[in-house]
Amino acid sequence: MANNPKVTVFSARRVVTLDPSQPISTHVAVRNGRIIGHGGPEVVGQFGGTLDARFADKVIVPGFIEGHGHATDGLMWRQPYVGYFARTAPDGSRQGGFRSVAEVVGHLKAIEATMPPGKPLVSWGFDPIYFDGPRMTVEDLDIIAPDRMVVVAHVSGHILNVNTKVLIAAGFSADSNIDGLVRGQNGQLTGELQGPAVMGRANRATGDGGLLRELDVAGLRDYGRIARRVGVTTSTDLANAMTPANVAAMRTATAEPDFPIRLVPAMRAREYSIEDGLARIAELRKLSTPTLQFGLVKLVVDGSIQGFTARLRWPGYHNGAPNGLWYISPAELEATVKSYHAAGHHLHIHTNGDEASELATEMIGRAIEAHPRADHRHTLQHCQMADSGIFRRMKTFGMCVNLFANHLYYWGDQHAKHTMGPSRVRRLDACNTALASGVPLAIHSDTPVTPVDPLFTMWCAVNRLSSTGVVLGDAERITPAQALHAVTLGAAYTLKMDHLIGSIEVGKYADFAVLDDDPLTVDPTAIKDIPVVATVMGGQVFAT
Amino acid sequence: MTIPLTVIGGFLGAGKTTLVNHLLATGAKRWGVLVNDFGAINVDAALIAASDGQTMALTNGCVCCTMGDDLGDGLAAMAARIPPPEHVIVEASGVSDPWRIAQMALIEPGFNLEPLVVLVDATAFPAQLDDRWTGDTVARQLAFAEIVVITKIDLADAAQLVMVHVRIAELRPQARVIETAHASLPDTALSFTPPARPQASRFHADDVTHAFPTQRIAADRQFDRDRLRWVLGMLPASVLRLKGVCLLGGERVLLQYAAERWAFTPAPEGLANGMVAIGTPEMPDLEGLFEEAR
Ligand SMILES: [Zn+2]
Ligand SMILES: [Zn+2]
Repeated sequence: MANNPKVTVFSARRVVTLDPSQPISTHVAVRNGRIIGHGGPEVVGQFGGTLDARFADKVIVPGFIEGHGHATDGLMWRQPYVGYFARTAPDGSRQGGFRSVAEVVGHLKAIEATMPPGKPLVSWGFDPIYFDGPRMTVEDLDIIAPDRMVVVAHVSGHILNVNTKVLIAAGFSADSNIDGLVRGQNGQLTGELQGPAVMGRANRATGDGGLLRELDVAGLRDYGRIARRVGVTTSTDLANAMTPANVAAMRTATAEPDFPIRLVPAMRAREYSIEDGLARIAELRKLSTPTLQFGLVKLVVDGSIQGFTARLRWPGYHNGAPNGLWYISPAELEATVKSYHAAGHHLHIHTNGDEASELATEMIGRAIEAHPRADHRHTLQHCQMADSGIFRRMKTFGMCVNLFANHLYYWGDQHAKHTMGPSRVRRLDACNTALASGVPLAIHSDTPVTPVDPLFTMWCAVNRLSSTGVVLGDAERITPAQALHAVTLGAAYTLKMDHLIGSIEVGKYADFAVLDDDPLTVDPTAIKDIPVVATVMGGQVFAT
Repeated sequence: MTIPLTVIGGFLGAGKTTLVNHLLATGAKRWGVLVNDFGAINVDAALIAASDGQTMALTNGCVCCTMGDDLGDGLAAMAARIPPPEHVIVEASGVSDPWRIAQMALIEPGFNLEPLVVLVDATAFPAQLDDRWTGDTVARQLAFAEIVVITKIDLADAAQLVMVHVRIAELRPQARVIETAHASLPDTALSFTPPARPQASRFHADDVTHAFPTQRIAADRQFDRDRLRWVLGMLPASVLRLKGVCLLGGERVLLQYAAERWAFTPAPEGLANGMVAIGTPEMPDLEGLFEEAR
């Protein structure tokens, strides 16, 4: 941004600053995209600014930070969304909200009628766990289109439903008796495919890339639209292969004058040998700009709890399912963590099950012993089942955590019934224990797994309600102020950006979320319903 | 004809990559090798004819490709090569369950699933089994192994070696066990049936020829589909493999069976009718059971 001495002062009903020297203001002055002052009405005169009173009856908070999201969310909407929970598309329209297999089938049939022949119909976000009645079958999808390939991907990411045309193209039939092909009473395939092996084969048949796609500029713009509408001014893209095409798309999109968010991609270490990965991340760091920050390195230790691929300690899965498999062996994890740690890099490590969190903590501990280093801020991502003992060790080693608070709502009932059982589910995403242990806390959506919406994520951490209204572990609730911290300064801290963003303090970027009401004073059960009026990013206003 | 396919599993450090490097370097056959990543593949640079990051073609006719989640994708690329490989080896990742990968090969009509080979490190295996973080992974890798190869025996003493055999027998008594010092194996360890042409014998491993009893099952009469499925569901664990062409509902189909998993696929050209069962010495006479399906 060009040097511009002009000062704009935004006035509001309240400015919740998270600035310890003045937590609440009513006016914030901005120059050159950065905060030059805040306080009462006197700020206008103090900085010779022009008053911008369009938010005079609104509440300004620091711009929200999605500490674990995926920009592929912006690409998903090229295909129909068929979820149980309605969510907002880049154009602002509400999609999904289907309550039965018949509703999904009807919606897809209407879309199919408008499609050119031959093109596969691939939809996403299917979530039948709250449906009554029989599961989706191959007959349901054959009704939509007998001569077009039809795929319905489940929101969990571990299951596909397909029609007969896809089964034939993939070489699956009643004569194939292998793991992952679900059969009905009659011995025939139901069209439900479980697990990466059979899903990968179906994706090859349809030519669909599944969740791992290359980013493009249009998709990033769409992700920016989705994120800004819910008050986000900075988002991670937490599993980026850092291919030349991905990097070029991010550099182009984030340099556009009206791109509304700062992007913080994490390099998937698995794409590289350790040696090549160290060289790649070092060269990427040099490309950082105020709107595109490189530096995070992502590792994945296990799978997901709802997919029964997370690594759990005793007593394992409540329903007796076998433990998940490591995604990386303990020895390789140790070597990888040590190498990136010793070279001064910043690790974000996906761990869902408690055994995975325990292992990652142990390996970070060993790395620190070998190469003592202050302020590394290695962060466990999801870390959904850690208990107080694991959090205490994380504190000892100076680690941070980003908990998957949205899981409480979207899968909490499943965890209570099938994966964790009624006792352990109380410590699912244990925000209060993390804070009580002194572990810096962020909370996240993992969009597109669940929709990005930091006010909703705050609401989850504050209320801990499942989607059927059951409270899961009320002792793990945190206060609205703690939750607001977790989606602003707390998340910024896990990204090593807390000197730039996350609070309204002099010198920081003028990144704000403008809300219709104050999340710290509304009824805590209404936090998720507060309308987001606008965002401000680098002083530039984006009306929603 | 079909291409023999061998899946090789085993924990990190068991010697899978050493074995693959050895196969590629010697080129005793036109091997096609599928690996998770090229990182550890280390063949003499002079041997590399072409490499694009996903496929590495060698001057001795061997080829090495990376694979993703979809085994079929990698196998299709192998089958499409001119000439196609004589034998395909799939190297499972050190933390994966190789049986999950191997059973996907049952539905590949162009391939013939050979024994599931799992490597264990003579010096590390008991400790890996007892380790709280790796024990279940290592045990699961052995659960359906048909040939277990103990590697690095030169680094283990006699007592250690006995303990390794005991632990293998506890987990998978059906498997044949082979010992080797350098993860270099005779071809006979990669197939149920030994190759017709003699192989240069510069390896130290046991000869496993005839180690697996076989039975022929007549396939001159039609099977009933439902009853054949029922029979397949009844086969004991001593039957490791059943494969061959049979008549089913008026069609010729290729049946491949392994460890309670099976698939019928259209029979490829050039295969005569007839099935063969391969098992452990405990395998019962199967003819009577299959009579139930006719
Ligand atoms: Zn994750
Ligand atoms: Zn994620």
